Amino acid sequence: MKTVRLAWRITRLNFRAQLEYRSEFLMMVAIGAVWQVSVIVFATVLLTRFSGMGGWDSSDVLLIPATRMLAHGLFVLFLGRMHGIGYFIQEGKIDVCLVRPMSVHLQVQLRMFPTNAIGDLTVAVGLMVGALSRSDLDWTAGRTSYLIAAVLGGMFLEAALFTAVASAALRFPAADYWGRWLEELLGTFGSYPLNVLPKAVGGLLTYGLPLAFVAYFPAAVLTGHGHSTGVPYWLAAVSPLLGLLAYLGSRLLWRWSLGHYTGVNG
Amino acid sequence: MAVPTAWRAARVTPLGELHTPPRMTAALLRLAVQVGLVASLWRGLYAHTGTTAGLTRDQAVTYAVLAVLASRLRALDQYAGRDTVIQHMHFGTIVYWYLRPLSPQRYYALRALGEQLYGLAWALTGYTVCLWTAVVTPPRSAAVAAVFALSLLLGQWILYYVMLAIDQLCFFTVRNSAAMLILVFAQNLLSGVYAPLWFFPDWFVTLSAFLPFQATLSVPLSLYVGRIPLSDAGPALLVQAVWVMVLALFTRLAWRLAARRVISQGG
Repeated sequence: MKTVRLAWRITRLNFRAQLEYRSEFLMMVAIGAVWQVSVIVFATVLLTRFSGMGGWDSSDVLLIPATRMLAHGLFVLFLGRMHGIGYFIQEGKIDVCLVRPMSVHLQVQLRMFPTNAIGDLTVAVGLMVGALSRSDLDWTAGRTSYLIAAVLGGMFLEAALFTAVASAALRFPAADYWGRWLEELLGTFGSYPLNVLPKAVGGLLTYGLPLAFVAYFPAAVLTGHGHSTGVPYWLAAVSPLLGLLAYLGSRLLWRWSLGHYTGVNG
Repeated sequence: MAVPTAWRAARVTPLGELHTPPRMTAALLRLAVQVGLVASLWRGLYAHTGTTAGLTRDQAVTYAVLAVLASRLRALDQYAGRDTVIQHMHFGTIVYWYLRPLSPQRYYALRALGEQLYGLAWALTGYTVCLWTAVVTPPRSAAVAAVFALSLLLGQWILYYVMLAIDQLCFFTVRNSAAMLILVFAQNLLSGVYAPLWFFPDWFVTLSAFLPFQATLSVPLSLYVGRIPLSDAGPALLVQAVWVMVLALFTRLAWRLAARRVISQGG
């Protein structure tokens, strides 16, 4: 309880610190929004020009970027500070965290307030509302619950990927570079049906880099395309659970990597 | 200015990269995967379509792959080099830019030149491989290739000034992270990196015509794939040249104003 109170207090202070630079604060909110709008623009252009994308209706396709964006917005808000941690490590700031009486992971998450998450989530919620209003599906309690689980699973999976990169950055600070690439891949290829790609490429984005589990597979299960994803139906269906398991695994990796971390002085 | 001095400043970034093998390996893998994915995506999209927005499959794939390669020209991890304006502003070391026997604007230009030449080596290597593996189609004639090269040069020149203007913002607002992100977004969207501008609605194409971004990438690539015929190349190149002049004057003025506002160690 004390930790929660402390975390809340630090978050409030961080928020006030962000407000110190007003124009930067407003622009950071804007950038979260415009970044997500770019995904919408790209998806809309493709949907307009190439009807029946991968055999999916446009309303079904929209559910993919909506799920991914909402998951991403929540990730940025709650677990996103693992992304870009390379400089934090390079500058030796993580060493200070090691001697404080609080979990290093929590300290990293509390190092700044993610202002851009406000913009991210605003657009994501708007897109989800739009996708749901255009959907012809019957949104039963079961389907709605699965969608919520999918969003949370997507958040955990994205967090797992960035936590794994952060763990690598503890040893190789240049690994941070991979984080930016990961973000780019998620933004570009995580927002539409991957069956439009050749099987080998789809396989790479499923088993090599599990982007397909963030939104594509859950959306496929929800919209009745679950049997044509190229993976067993059950595997697509358990995507939210896989996200959670991947996150727990990444936290163990983080703990192990932190145990083997050696600063400049050894 | 002596050539050796210019050479020493221009090679700082490439040397930094050459001494960081993990970053180079990552850049190589990233470029290869991105080219492969983008080519696969556009081929997949065209699987059941002939010509869309005036672009055939080969034109669209070539455009998209060249856009990825062109983005390598300025895709360096500049922050890792600890020599960005925002870092110097933050640590107060920007003052040294004004104490050297080399003006800040010249130093900045030389660093950028080195970066872009280094990026060009990557892009050219990637282009050669893509051409050899028939991922992209070659230019239709030597004249198209020459006009494309000139247009790409002008485009990179415009991009240099746009990036400089955002960096100069630091002198007035101390921070420019958000502005930089917005710039990257605008650049990717309005220059046709996400998708060729021909796919967008007419109002979007008209809007982008009034901004410098389309002149950085969309114009040269459209010339390359033949979406802008050689007969219309003159006006397109002229627009690019005008943007170069306008932005050169603007950033020159901004350097003067910035020199009066340099903040270091509390002022």
